[in-house]
Amino acid sequence: MATTLFQKIWDRHLVAATEQANLLYIDRHLVHEVTSPQAFDGLRLAGRTVRRPDLTVATIDHNVPTDDQLVIRDPLSKKQVETLRANCREFGVTLHDIQSGRQGIVHVIGPELGLTLPGATIVCGDSHTSTHGAFGALAFGIGTSEVEHVLATQTLWQGPRPGSLGVEITGRLAAGLEPKDVILAVIRAIGTGGATGCVIEYHGAGVRALSMEGRLTICNMSIEAGARAGLIAPDETTFAYFTDQERPFAPKGQALENAINDWRTLVTDDPSAFDRNVSIDASTLAPQVTWGTNPAMTVDVTGVVPGPDETPFAAPADARRALEYMGLVPGTPIAKVAVDIVFIGSCTNGRIEDLRSAARVMKGRRVASGVRTLVVPGSEAVRKQAEAEGLDQVFLHAGAEWRQAGCSMCLAMNPDRLEPGQRSASTSNRNFEGRQGPMGRTHLVSPSMAAAAAVTGRFTDVRELLDPRA
Amino acid sequence: MEPFQTHRGRLALLDWRDVNTDLIIPARYLKRIERTGFGPLLFADKRYGQGGAPEADAPEKHGPPDPAFPLNAAECQGASILVVGRNFGCGSSREHAVWAVMQGGYRAVVAPGKGEGFADIFESNAYNNGLLPIELDPADWAILAQAVRDHPGAAEATIDLRAQTITIHGGAGESPVFTFETPESQRHRLIHGLDAISETLAHDAAIRHHEQSAPAWLAPQTR
Ligand code: SF4
Repeated sequence: MATTLFQKIWDRHLVAATEQANLLYIDRHLVHEVTSPQAFDGLRLAGRTVRRPDLTVATIDHNVPTDDQLVIRDPLSKKQVETLRANCREFGVTLHDIQSGRQGIVHVIGPELGLTLPGATIVCGDSHTSTHGAFGALAFGIGTSEVEHVLATQTLWQGPRPGSLGVEITGRLAAGLEPKDVILAVIRAIGTGGATGCVIEYHGAGVRALSMEGRLTICNMSIEAGARAGLIAPDETTFAYFTDQERPFAPKGQALENAINDWRTLVTDDPSAFDRNVSIDASTLAPQVTWGTNPAMTVDVTGVVPGPDETPFAAPADARRALEYMGLVPGTPIAKVAVDIVFIGSCTNGRIEDLRSAARVMKGRRVASGVRTLVVPGSEAVRKQAEAEGLDQVFLHAGAEWRQAGCSMCLAMNPDRLEPGQRSASTSNRNFEGRQGPMGRTHLVSPSMAAAAAVTGRFTDVRELLDPRA
Repeated sequence: MEPFQTHRGRLALLDWRDVNTDLIIPARYLKRIERTGFGPLLFADKRYGQGGAPEADAPEKHGPPDPAFPLNAAECQGASILVVGRNFGCGSSREHAVWAVMQGGYRAVVAPGKGEGFADIFESNAYNNGLLPIELDPADWAILAQAVRDHPGAAEATIDLRAQTITIHGGAGESPVFTFETPESQRHRLIHGLDAISETLAHDAAIRHHEQSAPAWLAPQTR
């Protein structure tokens, strides 16, 4: 019987199994300040220790102020950050702290530091752990009780093995189109519950053509389709990520060769092994813009705001609430909608390639008057790299803000947030009500579409701004 | 964890699809490092209307309830079984959402569609805290939801976790009995209020064996 990549990784990690419950071994446990304090407390109360501090790594991302990381004014944020520091000290967990050179959004630093490896199981108290699946790792988000369980046992109970959904990407992206457009189109096609209970494997020529950064963007938003995890089989592009640049925690030399030999076996033997399969042709896509309050509420940038009866996967009443919340009238061309804020960053699009895409559009242009634009690198390392390439100067000359690493305006937990009624073009992953601030209105787009919105002040088809000679 | 065997309580209905965890508990409240105090923060940005939501460090200080929010209706007060639309709890992994639902007075949440009623992480978080997530057949769910609409404040239900049934009463005329399924291992844990970690530690030999047979390249290299 044909076996999927997912089944192979799952089977390798089974410690104990009954018909309905499976105990999985966890190879990497990533920890951040928000979902861990109650878990460490639980350990303390029960007199338990962290079983494998060497497999546990922490950083600080959600609460970090991105104007000056060192000045946390909000006393609760400060306390949460200090609680993580104290817990890491007490339990012997490595912490990549602010301004260590290695701090950043947990899903950005995992790959950078070589913590994320093909074939590994990776968990974190954060739903976007699905990001790491881009390397062919089985990676998923867990709740705080599960964080405590993994800290104490390095394992996790799962129900029966989830089903698998193959998402085949055919065709290559045209100029101006980005991996973000692909994943938004996938969610638009299958709905926010389209992959509930399943692990998605993205496959096909369109995936093979993508860089690791692009693959990370796609796997990142698997959770927005309801998936447990997203996966991409490792290939030469994946291996080069480890051979082209030394990754501190990854194997090196002979150990890396051994690893790569093993990673070559991490493929789905035959796509017919997926329980279901859907196919998206990337070459036909137009840039995507979400109009509503979940990521499936998406239109082409050339399209119009739909009516409540024209919204797949939403009851008309729900769609009406979304329209009202977003302050949009059906039939309005999305390209006529003006923005107040542009946010370029997050674990979806805060990596170096994302910043390069945005800079390409912003170079030699000015941010439209009245628009505030924040460019926030996903990690200290991304920030350093961008500065080495002069991207920071492109953004600053255009009139954008060049910030320090953190989750920033992806969620309203640190000082970067929308005011009530403000409308954003955001490269993050969630357009839920209040996600970027109470009564804020979020439209999800790719980095180059965000840059296009910054310089024109409204949603603009970035293809119109591309230099035809480039 | 408090055991869950049977529970009788009043039903409240929030008939919205895709209710995400940012709606259930907005991110700014995640700064709390305790497991308690989340009750008044449940649906804070909907429940109190604009400007009325409490600060994270003072959950009890909030504005008046917004009458437009369905769960603020008089008949919903004191309800302990929350009937919700499909894909409830989607979005972030925050367990705070489950703490808020429970501390808001609910012991069970009922959604339509087997395998579709709840987002995966919310569902496991619920089990881990003793909040029972029930997925009903959509036709049964519709009858239950209609009973709440027809008998506001009077519709009640009894949940029997051993039998995996939910029975409607309270002015709803007949008492249809619906069945649901809960994974055996979760049911066992809930009924007995067991701690998963102690259970896992009984597998220590198997865990050790797995650790010893892991390939060398998998160990994190330099610090
Ligand atoms: S960037 Fe956004 S989605 Fe990613 S970890 Fe931070 S808050 Fe979560």
